[in-house]
Amino acid sequence: MADAHVVHHVQAFHRLLCQFGGYTAPWGFISNEGLAFAAGTTYGTPPVAYVHDASPRAEAYPKARLIVMWSWNPIDTQQGTRTPFSLIRAKEGGTRFISVEPRYTDSAAVLADQWIPIRPGTDVAALIAMAYVIIKENLHDQHFIDTYTSGFDQFRDYVFGLEDGVAKTPEWAADITGIAAATITDLAREYASTKPAILEAGYAAGRTAFGEQFHRAIAVLEAITGNARILSGKRSVSRALRRILQIPSPPNPVEMGAPPRWNALPYRSATVNSSARVNVNLFVDAILKGKAGGYPADYKFLWLSNNNYLNQLSDVNKAVEAFRKLEFVLVTEQFMTATARFADIVLPVCTFLERNDFRCPKAIEPLGESKSQLQICEALASKLGIPDYNDKSDEEWVEFMMTKLSEEVNKTSAAPAKESEIAELKLLPTPSGKVEIYSQLIAEMQHPLIPSIPKYIETWESLNDSLANKYPLQLITPHLKRRAHSQFDNLPWLRDLATQTVSINTLDAKLRGIRYGDMVRIFNDRGEVIIPARVTERIMPGVVALPQGAWYSPDENGIDQGGCANVLTKNVTSPAGAFPSHTALVQVKKAQN
Amino acid sequence: MQYGFYVNQTRCTGCFTCVVACRDWHDVPAGPVSWIRVKTIEKGIYPDLFVAFLPVTCYHCRQPACIPACPVGAIAKRDEDGIVVVDSETCLGADCQLCLEACPYDAPQFGPEEDALMQKCDLCVDRWAEGKKPVCVDSCPTWALDAGPLDELREKYGDVKNAEGFVYSADLAPSVTFKPKQDAKGLVNQKISTSPQHHTGI
Repeated sequence: MADAHVVHHVQAFHRLLCQFGGYTAPWGFISNEGLAFAAGTTYGTPPVAYVHDASPRAEAYPKARLIVMWSWNPIDTQQGTRTPFSLIRAKEGGTRFISVEPRYTDSAAVLADQWIPIRPGTDVAALIAMAYVIIKENLHDQHFIDTYTSGFDQFRDYVFGLEDGVAKTPEWAADITGIAAATITDLAREYASTKPAILEAGYAAGRTAFGEQFHRAIAVLEAITGNARILSGKRSVSRALRRILQIPSPPNPVEMGAPPRWNALPYRSATVNSSARVNVNLFVDAILKGKAGGYPADYKFLWLSNNNYLNQLSDVNKAVEAFRKLEFVLVTEQFMTATARFADIVLPVCTFLERNDFRCPKAIEPLGESKSQLQICEALASKLGIPDYNDKSDEEWVEFMMTKLSEEVNKTSAAPAKESEIAELKLLPTPSGKVEIYSQLIAEMQHPLIPSIPKYIETWESLNDSLANKYPLQLITPHLKRRAHSQFDNLPWLRDLATQTVSINTLDAKLRGIRYGDMVRIFNDRGEVIIPARVTERIMPGVVALPQGAWYSPDENGIDQGGCANVLTKNVTSPAGAFPSHTALVQVKKAQN
Repeated sequence: MQYGFYVNQTRCTGCFTCVVACRDWHDVPAGPVSWIRVKTIEKGIYPDLFVAFLPVTCYHCRQPACIPACPVGAIAKRDEDGIVVVDSETCLGADCQLCLEACPYDAPQFGPEEDALMQKCDLCVDRWAEGKKPVCVDSCPTWALDAGPLDELREKYGDVKNAEGFVYSADLAPSVTFKPKQDAKGLVNQKISTSPQHHTGI
């Protein structure tokens, strides 16, 4: 699915499949659907790519006096290098950094003045308790709240316990999060009283059972302290680019006339909001259950292109079962990935160096029998009896897009620049036109687990779950710095830099007789991985971290020797559709040699 | 003239870009050999921790221990810039390794093959000839490294001889100056690992 370029892109497949009669397309961001939902309901806008390296946010860091990195590890996970350098310059200029997350990350090591370890899945409790302190101590920005937000009173009632009889005090949150009440109080006071302060929320805490609540709570905390802002910058242009730089396609026949999903977001197109689509994280569930499970069709054929979804979405063993149920799995790839190994046919796609694309001319001819995405689709179209699939060469497509782009850029640059970030907050595309602490959109959705104001909801597979008796450790699946997700896991130069291991706190390791480097079994009812243990002080006791992206390599018993984290994750989404990759209980034991 | 390195340890994020860039420039395959390594220094006990990174190269010492240790005179110090270079054709190879034993900084590198010859950081002598700084310096995303005449580096950045994970040898006089990362709490329970191949960070 994913490809950095525009001619040889998913849109090439999309056009073919729409011309052929239609197909079920996915919806939802794997990275940050929780944020997408929170942004769409709180601001009425798409998620602002403020953690993108080219965003104006990177420029703002040195001006901040406080930066709270909440489940954010930019030094390992940021695309590009501008953000880490900007953060380092901020530190050199005296900005204070606080890191809130279960691991003492490399970002914490380089930047943080303070590390606040927090139990996975409990971030919202800490944020709500911070709001309690801020409102109780009158540290909120009443003018900002009155001018730019709606629904503060309902939120305050929830926070003070008027709604459910439970005041969301730091003591209340301390039991849930594992953070001392005094630390939560100090953090709240410091965040509310330091200007400028940036609360940088990584996507990780949004990839939990109720991930949308995390991004909603962050947005509300930013709003009540007057820190909310929308950074537009070049965003409008780049968003327009994505629409323009596409091979045009007829509508997908199966989406035409299909009603919108219950959780449709107004900023999304009718096709993305269509109930004919399946949440990307549930595609294997859709294959296994089909119409009987409420999905749009009974599936026989799956086409995956350059995405390694078998490896990168939850519950790999369930995905294997789904792949086996299908009549035909086609994978278009450059490498024999874990996903490609389970395909019936692998069509080799050439790399971006071997074909012409927008601002990316061909360097060499395609190697071996590989073909470009467009060539593959052209060949299939002729076999499928589709005569008008493609009437342009790659160069003509590039020219076509360049012309459309020039028109758009001329239009955009003629538009007046936005006065300020704050000015944009005045007319938001929400029902109230304001930052919605109480979301009318969510209220209309009437989902029992998506409250109209952000609330702490205990996750499934929490430490209070009876399952914790059997599987007492919380698994998180962070990024590893030597890979981009599962990409580059096959490169010897990069594999050399860090070993795929499971990080476990010294105390948890000692209880299990595990020493540094021992092979250990990590398992739950969904599967088992065998991998060396990284015994470390840099992770909270009770939490283990297995970096996502290592390629699933099952032995003859189906036990993964490759260290693929998603063997252990649960194939569900958060109520709003987020991929809960950091909500899973496991046990770890020393492997018998 | 003596060339050397400047290492701003507070800026090193342990990203390993220098390692990959060095291997790319000098065509060093994956394996035990790397002309530049990155140390991870981890100290303290949960939750009170300190972590620093340190790029480690050959420091082109003023009095290199490797040169007198070499039984066949394969290692030399260049007059014009003080860069310590090895003549691989003269080197006795992996059976000898006396240079590695002598060097406290593990600069001499031997590959896994039986007849491996010594190789190590040459401060990118080929790049200086083209008016470029070493590839590790030019590739560092946080501008944590610099290289050049040591006097100029000391004038620009100060003369600091020690850093976390590094011990200055007055006898050898390594050509390096630091901006060290300070462990203000003086934490103990130290663990040091080196990447590639032996990384133990998180």
